[in-house]
This record gives sequence, structure tokens and C-alpha cells, in this order.
Amino acid sequence: MVADLPTLLFNALVWGMATFLVAAGLTMIFGILHVLNFSHGGFFMIGAYVAHSLTNWSAAMANIWGFLAASVLAGAVIGIVGLVVDRAVFRRLAHVDGAYVLVATYALLLVCNGFVKLVWGLNVVSASPPPELFEVSFLGNLVLPHYSIFVVVAGVVVFLALEWLINMTSVGRLIQAIAIDPWMARLLGVNVGLIYSATVVIGFALAGLAGGLLVANQSLSPDLAGIFIIQAFGVVIVGGMGSIRGAFLAAILLGLVDSFGTALLPQMPGVLFFVALAAILLIRPRGLIASGRLS
Amino acid sequence: MTRSPALRFLLVLGLLTGAALLLPLVANRGIVFLAGVVAINVVLGLAFNLLFSTAGLLSFGQATFSAAGAYAVALLLLRVPEIPFLVALGAAAATGAAIATAIGLVALRRTEGVYFAVLTLAFAELVHVVIAKTSFFGRNDGLTGIPRPRIGPIDLADGQAYYVFVILVTALLIACLWWVTHSRLGRSFRAIRLDPMRAAFLGIDVRRRRLEAFAVSGACAAAAGGLMGPLTSIVSPDLAHWGESTKPILFTLLGGAGHFWGPLVGAVVFSGVEYATRSLAGASDLITGGLLLAVVLAIPGGLLGLAALVVRRLRRRERPATVTDAAAEGARP
Repeated sequence: MVADLPTLLFNALVWGMATFLVAAGLTMIFGILHVLNFSHGGFFMIGAYVAHSLTNWSAAMANIWGFLAASVLAGAVIGIVGLVVDRAVFRRLAHVDGAYVLVATYALLLVCNGFVKLVWGLNVVSASPPPELFEVSFLGNLVLPHYSIFVVVAGVVVFLALEWLINMTSVGRLIQAIAIDPWMARLLGVNVGLIYSATVVIGFALAGLAGGLLVANQSLSPDLAGIFIIQAFGVVIVGGMGSIRGAFLAAILLGLVDSFGTALLPQMPGVLFFVALAAILLIRPRGLIASGRLS
Repeated sequence: MTRSPALRFLLVLGLLTGAALLLPLVANRGIVFLAGVVAINVVLGLAFNLLFSTAGLLSFGQATFSAAGAYAVALLLLRVPEIPFLVALGAAAATGAAIATAIGLVALRRTEGVYFAVLTLAFAELVHVVIAKTSFFGRNDGLTGIPRPRIGPIDLADGQAYYVFVILVTALLIACLWWVTHSRLGRSFRAIRLDPMRAAFLGIDVRRRRLEAFAVSGACAAAAGGLMGPLTSIVSPDLAHWGESTKPILFTLLGGAGHFWGPLVGAVVFSGVEYATRSLAGASDLITGGLLLAVVLAIPGGLLGLAALVVRRLRRRERPATVTDAAAEGARP
């Protein structure tokens, strides 16, 4: 059975926004540090586990506000972890060959996996959304689970917040300046190291927040990191490395590809995603928005 | 110490092969089985390093080729049992070379670092999904009950016969890779890595050479992967998962990318650590991840790079005037 058009579009939007939530921090860190961070998926996963533990901790958290608070707390925790990772790892990778950077972040991903297995165990844990988001609305034939609407709204809110941060605040302008020319920024008296750290903290906090917000979208298991990171890589690269707007557009585009691909080729979900990824990379190798700076 | 690189290589390869062949006399079956897997992984690592250190291409899709080889051999042994095993292995290598050429024709249009890596990753995941969803390849369950074949009068199902066969074939593949690395072809790969534009001016067809490097690496990886099925008696789509593609990279960087034997050292050390920590769920990931991180941050030359550094320091202390050429040929700058 081929699903109707509104359902396909809605699915595309949900996929796109869920992936954008993960990809936002990834593309930000790449834009500034030029590190394609494999471990982003790992910290996303830890964020999901932290948020899940927080909501299970007390009955007062079992509503939508508790859910949001747990997600923000997970973001804060992972942001602090980001500060440590920046000091201990990223700083030392500044003058290392790109391949080694990729492998170092992959090693970090392994560390995250091990940490999750030690703390939360190997079992699959299912997480359900808070009761307010458990319901379903109908719009004609279109089935709209409230949690899916929540994910779409969360994706758009995070996108708008980042746009505001990057373009309207002084920190955002400094981040843009460093993305374009860190050497010149340093000459002009910008504390480049501090902005680097701030970017890493924001990027990691976004990973933790995404983990918390998407916790009910899938079951929790130590495999979670690998599932999202490849999709997020695709979105970051198709969007143009370091571009938040590009990632937003690419997330919607690849969401459409995934949604229609699943409808057209139900026996091979995901195939068209990789075909589209390869095709876009060949046609526009630098991605949709190839400004070479954070935008 | 002999001066000729070829003789020195054959000496090292002979010693390693001999040691591997003597292993069943001192170790139990579990360890010997693991040694067979490590031997296959060594070839996968060396095939990756031919691309990475010699031709300067970071491939994140090496699992495609090893999985293609494993599936080719498994399908041939299950469907056409009368086929000679060496022919099946040859078919696996040809499959690997063909797939590498097909992917390379597209992916090599973008060779700048991360883009090439992600393109190869995308193609590898494509192959992974196709294998996992096609009933011809046994879907998610993979293909089971792969027999250990006969070669003429020798039944490889007897005792450690298959292990001995694996060691001999991997030694042959290692010799092939060494020969390619040090041949005229390998020298042109290195020229392209160091300066593609200058290499093109000197009359080297850069894209063609890169495609050849990709095909040779794919063929060797596929032949090694083909050995896997009869060893474990099962091939599954996990062989094509991107996690498998990262393993050759880990072995290479851990051992030292600038040294021909780097991936071997990396594969042996990595497998040793994994074996030592196998009973500790989670701790094994923490330890392997931490170890790898420590290597990249503290000794980017890998274990062999560290060893070469120590040797150079010691020699300098003995004879301060001599300049040693411990930076082996083909070392990355």
C-alpha cells in the first residue's frame, strides 16, 4: 500500500527535524573546528539515557514540562562534558591530519558506547513520551501523533534559536568571524580559544538536548549512536559543512527522499537515502550552501 | 641485517608465517581460531593502508569489499559445491575488484579528504542495506552452514588444516600487497599522494592510477574476506556494516600508517586487547576506545612509529655522527 501524499510529507518533516536536531551541533562544531565529530552520536545517546533516567526518577517529571526540563538538563550535562572533551581531546587535534581526527572522534564514540554499557547495561529500554504527547490527532486521512508534532516544533524552534544566536548576538558574530578567518580574528584581539570552547559546549549541549527530546522516538540501546550519526553526517555534508541553514534544508530534502523512498521501495528502506547522498555530493560537492562559513 | 628491502621483507614474512603455523602446537582451539581471524584482518588492514598511505585516499567503505568476497565464496560453496576452492577465492577477488572499480569510477571524482570518505561510506551502507534486505543474500540472517572445502586430496575440514590454509593464503596476499607497494605502480601511487598536479605533469594518469589502487585494494580485501566464511561457517550482513570499515583504519593508525607492517602490529595488538577484555561488557569498548585515543593523541606515528623513534634515539646515543634512515621508505611526512 502506498501512503497518501500528506502522510508522506508529514513523515518527511518528522524525519528531517529529528535528524536536524542531531545534525545542528555536528555542523556547528565542524564549521568552527573543522572536526567531523563521530562521537556526536555517542553524546547524543548519553543525553537520551540521562534524560530517560531523570524522567523516571520522580513521578513529578512524568508530564510534558518534566520531559522538557529533563531534556534541557541532559543538554546542560553534555555541554559540561563537552568542555572536558574540548580541553582533553579537541585542543590537541588542532594540528593533526584529518584522518587522525576522524579516528580520534571514533575512539571517543567507542568510549561513549562503553560508558553507556557500564552504567545503563546492554538491555534495550523502551521510553514512552509524556501523557500529553501520547495522543493522536486526525486531519482528514492524516494521522498526527502529538509526539511527532512535538519533534517537528522542537526542530524548528532549535533552528530559529540558532539562527538568532549566530546572526543577532555578539557571540554569534564572533563565531562567524572565527569561522571565516581565525588568524585575523586573533589579530583583532578576539579570544579565539574561548570562542572555540564555547562552540564545542554549544554543539555538545545540542547533542544532549536532541537526545532528551528524541528519547521517546526510539528504544534506548547502546546501538543508538550508530543509527543517527550516519543520517546526521549525510545531512551535514549535503547541507554544506558548517552551515546551519544548509543542514536545515538538507534535513527536509533528505527527509523527503527517505519518506518517498520508503513508500516506493518498501522492501529496501534507506537505499534511496544513500543514493541521493552520493548523487548530491557528485553534483554539488560542497553541499547546498557552500559559503565556507557558519550561516 | 640484510640491505635488500625485498629480502628483508621475505625474511620477516617467513618468520611471521612460521610463527603463525607453529601456533596450534602451543595454543588451544579458541586462540587458533582467533589467530585465523586476525590473519584475515591483517590483510584487510594492509589493503586499506595501500590506499591510505601509498595512494593517499581515506576509504571509509572497506567492509564492502571484504563482505563482497565473503558472500561470493559463501554463495559459490553453497550453490556450486563442486567448484574448486581456489577458483572460488579467485572469483571473490574478481568480485571485489569489479565492485571497487564501479564505486571508484563514481567516488574518485571527489578525492578531497572528508568527501571521499563519506562517499565511500555512503556506498558501503548502500551495499549493506541491499545485502540485509535481499533474500538471495539471506537477508538479515545471512548465509549459514558454509562448509570447509577440499583442495584436491586435502580435506580442509580436518583439524587445523583450514587454519594452515588461511595463514598460507594471507601470507601470499601480504606478499602481493608488498610487491604492489614497492613496484613501479606503487611508486606512481606515492607520487600522486605527494603531489597530484606534479604527477600529472610527469605524465601519470592520476585518476586511472587511483582507480587501480582502489581495485587492487578491493581485490585483496575481497580475497581475504572470502576466507572468512568457511572459517566461521556463517556470513551475515554485519560484515558490511560501517563499523567493520573502521576496523582496518584502527589497525593501521594504531600500528603506524607510515610503516608497511603497521596494520599487522595494530591488528595483533587490538585483537589482543579485545581478547583480554572480552568478558567485561562495556569495559572492552572503554579500553579499546581509550587506547586508540591515547595513540592518536600521544603517538600519532602509531606503535611502529614510536618504536622507530626509540631505536633512532638509542642509535644516536651510540654513534652521534651517523644519520640513520629509520624513517622507512614510504613513510608519511
